[in-house]
Amino acid sequence: MRVLPWIYLTAAFVFIYLPVGALVLFSFQGGGLPVPPFDGPSLRWYADILGDEDLVAALLHSLAVAGGSSAVACTLGFLAAYGLARHVMPGSALVRGLLIAPLTVSYLIVGLGLLMVLQRLGLPLSLMTAGIGHVVINLPLCFAIIYASMGAQQQNAERAARDLGAREWQVVTLVTVPMLMPALLAAFFLSVTLSWDEFIISFLLTRFDVTLPVEIWSLLRSGLSPRLNAIGSLVFLVSIVAVFLAELLIFRKRP
Amino acid sequence: MTAPVSIQHVDHWFGTYQALTDIEMEIAAGEYITLLGPSGCGKTTLLSVLGGFIAPSVGRVLIGGADMTHVPPAKRPTTTMFQDYALFPHMTLRDNVGFGLRMGGMGRRARHAKAEEMLGLVGLADAANKRPHELSGGQRQRVALARALAVSPDVLLLDEPLGALDLKLRRAMQDELKRIQRAVGTTFVHVTHDQEEAMAIADRIVVMNAGQIEDQGPPARIYQKPASLFAAGFMGEMNRIPAKASAHGIETPFGQLPLAAPGAGPLTLCLRPEAIGTGAGALFIGPATVRDAAFFGTHCRAHLSPEAAPDLTLIAHLPAASCPAEGETITLAADPAAASVFEAA
Repeated sequence: MRVLPWIYLTAAFVFIYLPVGALVLFSFQGGGLPVPPFDGPSLRWYADILGDEDLVAALLHSLAVAGGSSAVACTLGFLAAYGLARHVMPGSALVRGLLIAPLTVSYLIVGLGLLMVLQRLGLPLSLMTAGIGHVVINLPLCFAIIYASMGAQQQNAERAARDLGAREWQVVTLVTVPMLMPALLAAFFLSVTLSWDEFIISFLLTRFDVTLPVEIWSLLRSGLSPRLNAIGSLVFLVSIVAVFLAELLIFRKRP
Repeated sequence: MTAPVSIQHVDHWFGTYQALTDIEMEIAAGEYITLLGPSGCGKTTLLSVLGGFIAPSVGRVLIGGADMTHVPPAKRPTTTMFQDYALFPHMTLRDNVGFGLRMGGMGRRARHAKAEEMLGLVGLADAANKRPHELSGGQRQRVALARALAVSPDVLLLDEPLGALDLKLRRAMQDELKRIQRAVGTTFVHVTHDQEEAMAIADRIVVMNAGQIEDQGPPARIYQKPASLFAAGFMGEMNRIPAKASAHGIETPFGQLPLAAPGAGPLTLCLRPEAIGTGAGALFIGPATVRDAAFFGTHCRAHLSPEAAPDLTLIAHLPAASCPAEGETITLAADPAAASVFEAA
């Protein structure tokens, strides 16, 4: 009677999580190949990758790029959303469209375009340029999330704050930003997770210091190894922590 | 603190739509004024002009003798209590109420003491650490009032403050508002569309319609002797009896009345339901058939068809003790002193 829904549910989750589960399981493999039979558990490959300076450096680069670019994208997205939601100006629909349009452009095109511009300007490729690329792809998303949550409720509270003598910067810092905190955090963490495993732009716009996905890609060229499983598991762990933090910070205070 | 307000020849347009037309009003310091009218009559626009959220197209606003027409809300000696309260959801009640004082540069300790004093005034002394979402609608309304009063404004503007409350709570809050206004002495300007609310709290009612002031004065005067047909109808139930001017006053379906006619054309005689009774009166309506009658506790509300004018339906509030039966014929009369005459609309 209710067997079919359960079978469907199980099948769906197996489909989603089996690859991740297999990846994590074989990261604890004892031998040299991430294929059955499983002969672990062993932390050998974790010790191996954490002892690899290049990998640890790439991991730290990725964290820095993700955190930095997300903070910039969120700040710019908030300022754009605040301006467009609170002020009437000619062509605001056009500006809104232009801000969101990059969402539809493929990462490859964004990366190539930036690469051409940077080379024309003579700027060297670095983590900074990769971060700029991530701001370009994450800004539309941050803007859309924050703009969508700016409602009449904040506007009335802002009006009340002004009426009580608050100056414009006080209205923004004491009323608007705290009231929008859930949306700001959601935008920030979504942006972090997207930047964290973004490959194409990082690949095109970095040179000597690279982010983790680029490092993984160069490791892949030497064939399968449980090292890659261990790295993948760590990447997955960081994403989970980001999602968990977001849940905790955004939904904890909800009445 | 308190101050008089003077509104001088104010007009306001939204595009081509004229929202306010030649508004002239003097408000004394410490007075409780209600702006009463249907939605779209311009009462909220006028309140926004007083609060500084709208600069009028023409005219001046003086508060305490100083020209405030183009002064922004933050710099005016006014505060507004908004219809949806607009409390800050991320702050405790103490911080909500103390917000204006903080903007004014008052230190933390003094500000908390004042905020708690204001919360005490509205009966929420022990809830200072709560947040707005933990409160009921009536309590939020009190916090909004405390927050607006904490900065000691000269004039408090209230935009339909009781609109979101249920009837019983609304009546209780009316008494509370009146008590608090007497205690602090601030000039209150209160916008509402509920004429009972206006009568319950106002020292003076300003009736507005289509961007103009129709009538202003004490509640009893406006109710009994309204200045216009609109004010007469808006202040409560009204019988409208067609009439016309005659040599000795006005002529009605119930005979001549020695009342001054305001014009030569068709007239309307207005008579409150409670002015019509079965006793004696100089305006003799005569026998009338009871179409239906309902018991309202304090009175009995009846629809009647007078024999002298069968097309007319009169509403009368008869004594609750003598509720007539349906179909019964009773003899009616009224006191012409309680009637008002206007040119027919």
